[in-house]
Amino acid sequence: MSEFLELTVDKFTFRFATDRYYHPEGVWARPEGDGRVRIGLSDFAQQSGGDVAFAEVKPVGTVVAFGEEVASIETMKTDIVVPAPVSGTVAEVNPALEMTPEVISEDPYGEGWLAVIAATDWEADRAHLMDAQAYLERVREVAEEEMRKK
Amino acid sequence: MTEVYDVAILGAGPGGYVAALRAAQLGMRVALVEEARVGGTCLNVGCIPTKALVTATDLLARARRAAEYGVRIPEAAPDLEGMMAYQRAAVERLVGGVEQLLKEWKVTVVRGRGRLVRPDALAVADGAGGTTEVVVRHIILAPGSVMARPPIPGLDLPGVVTSTEALDVSTLPAHLIVIGGGVIGLEFACIYQALGSRVTVLEMMPNLLPGAADEAIAKRLAVVLRRRGMDIRTGATVQAVEEAEGGLRVRFTTAKGEEAVEGDRVLLATGRWPNTADLGLEEVGIRMNRRAIAVDEYLRTNVPNVWAIGDAVGGMMLAHKAMVDGRVAVENIAGQKRAVDYRSVPSAIFTSPEVAGVGLTEEQARQQGADVRVLQFPFSANPRAQILGETEGLVRIVCEAGSGRVLGVHMMGPHVTELIAEGALAVQTGATADDLAWTTHAHPTLTEAVLEAALGFQGATIHYHRKT
Ligand SMILES: Cc1cc2nc3c(=O)[nH]c(=O)nc-3n(C[C@H](O)[C@H](O)[C@H](O)COP(=O)(O)OP(=O)(O)OC[C@H]3O[C@@H](n4cnc5c(N)ncnc54)[C@H](O)[C@@H]3O)c2cc1C
Repeated sequence: MSEFLELTVDKFTFRFATDRYYHPEGVWARPEGDGRVRIGLSDFAQQSGGDVAFAEVKPVGTVVAFGEEVASIETMKTDIVVPAPVSGTVAEVNPALEMTPEVISEDPYGEGWLAVIAATDWEADRAHLMDAQAYLERVREVAEEEMRKK
Repeated sequence: MTEVYDVAILGAGPGGYVAALRAAQLGMRVALVEEARVGGTCLNVGCIPTKALVTATDLLARARRAAEYGVRIPEAAPDLEGMMAYQRAAVERLVGGVEQLLKEWKVTVVRGRGRLVRPDALAVADGAGGTTEVVVRHIILAPGSVMARPPIPGLDLPGVVTSTEALDVSTLPAHLIVIGGGVIGLEFACIYQALGSRVTVLEMMPNLLPGAADEAIAKRLAVVLRRRGMDIRTGATVQAVEEAEGGLRVRFTTAKGEEAVEGDRVLLATGRWPNTADLGLEEVGIRMNRRAIAVDEYLRTNVPNVWAIGDAVGGMMLAHKAMVDGRVAVENIAGQKRAVDYRSVPSAIFTSPEVAGVGLTEEQARQQGADVRVLQFPFSANPRAQILGETEGLVRIVCEAGSGRVLGVHMMGPHVTELIAEGALAVQTGATADDLAWTTHAHPTLTEAVLEAALGFQGATIHYHRKT
């Protein structure tokens, strides 16, 4: 089971699983230990998007570079273009997304994973990612900024 | 008996009857040869009866959701006989309307089966042993198309039907298996599903609507239909239809190997072929393009004064395309020089939700080497769609990255078969995304989804946010 950090801004609470790394655009990456890296949306990213209507991940076999679009997620408010937090080849796509894309909102760190990527150089990519604490601090800044704008 | 006309048209479908009316308008003496009823496939067993069924099943679906709108409809249920009567009435009204127009324009309708006997003559067999020879200056061939029959064993088993029999919804199958996930197959799949049948669709290609829709849209449609409980298998090649206990079994292969489904009715919807057999074409030396009649951009065949239009020339087999062909051929006969221009022929697919498109798809535009940009807007962010409670779908505008010139527009969602007209106009006139974006669209309407997508060209979409 993952452990979580929590951040509450105004009436929203965001969770951050501590067993993985984060791309600043709100994508998590968790190495599976076999050269493969599971990826998904952070709780903050999914909450700011709203209810997910449709999720489309690049098909198995697609080669993606760090930062390139690996999925797009249509919510009621926005289209989230998901950048790959790791370079490699899409090896698995979450089969649950087609029929029940809402799993992304319900369980972003678990059942709502997006894809598994066979990484080309995970160690190099990891250097560009943040740990849960660093990502939490970043979200705090972004969320507080949003609050001030309201 | 011999009669002489300026132009004779073989086949009174949308291609043929429009050609006849236009020719009469231009002062020609016109004979229209038809062995069945005027209106052709479209009015009698195609576009019109299917759309009557779609209209009825849409109403049924909406009535069942009445509570969402705060309207009490205690028991919304199909009345299958009533639905058949409604379907027949729609067909009769339109066929009657065409007959009336033909009469008013003094077009002579010659009943019987026609055959080209010389480049300037048709022999029409009246079915009772009599033959009339119609001698003319010009002949327009408009014999339409017939259901394709691929070489699959078992297609003649009872319970295997084509679209024409599928129009009869007076008895419903418990489980309908549709072979072919193209336009006709999917329209019927949605109709029968709405009426309560379980439906399985088998499509050989990797996506639904192959060649008939933008790939991204076709994928979305598959997802939406699956979420509604339709069983859709793509990449499924049907091997055989067999008798099974209490019904029929369809065997097919996929990447996973051999599979089979059992049902009590099978709809064969694997496309249509030009209806060109036994028309005397070979004898007169008409050049063919496989089953289709070969024509040039003016719709001339290789034989002088013989023209061909509509489904019989292949390409897009759509009623409105056949109608345009009819006008083009006749105007050329009248001495103008008008080439066909198919850039803005829209496709309108009456599935639920509807799908429509015009111009190039994203893939086609990229293949042609264009520097492409795709602007998207989902109906979930459109106020009218939200009020309707029909938010599944989106608008995609394919445009040139630099100029914004609209190359294609593709949509899935409520009433997109109507909305696509704007896309057709944009493609035909070379409009840009900015032209669409500065055309004021009424609020709150579904058309605003086109406006909002177009606004994306300047990064100015107002009611939606695309994070990149
Ligand atoms: C179930 C179904 C649904 C469809 N829905 C749509 C839709 O929603 N929108 C759309 O655009 N298209 C639709 N189509 C396609 C549309 O019906 C055709 O594209 C259109 O009818 C083609 O017109 P046409 O004039 O070329 O030929 P047809 O409509 O096929 O007409 C040909 C006519 O020629 C006659 N004929 C043929 N040979 C002879 C002969 N030797 N002598 C005398 N008469 C002859 C036939 O009896 C027929 O009346 C649908 C088709 C089907 C089957």
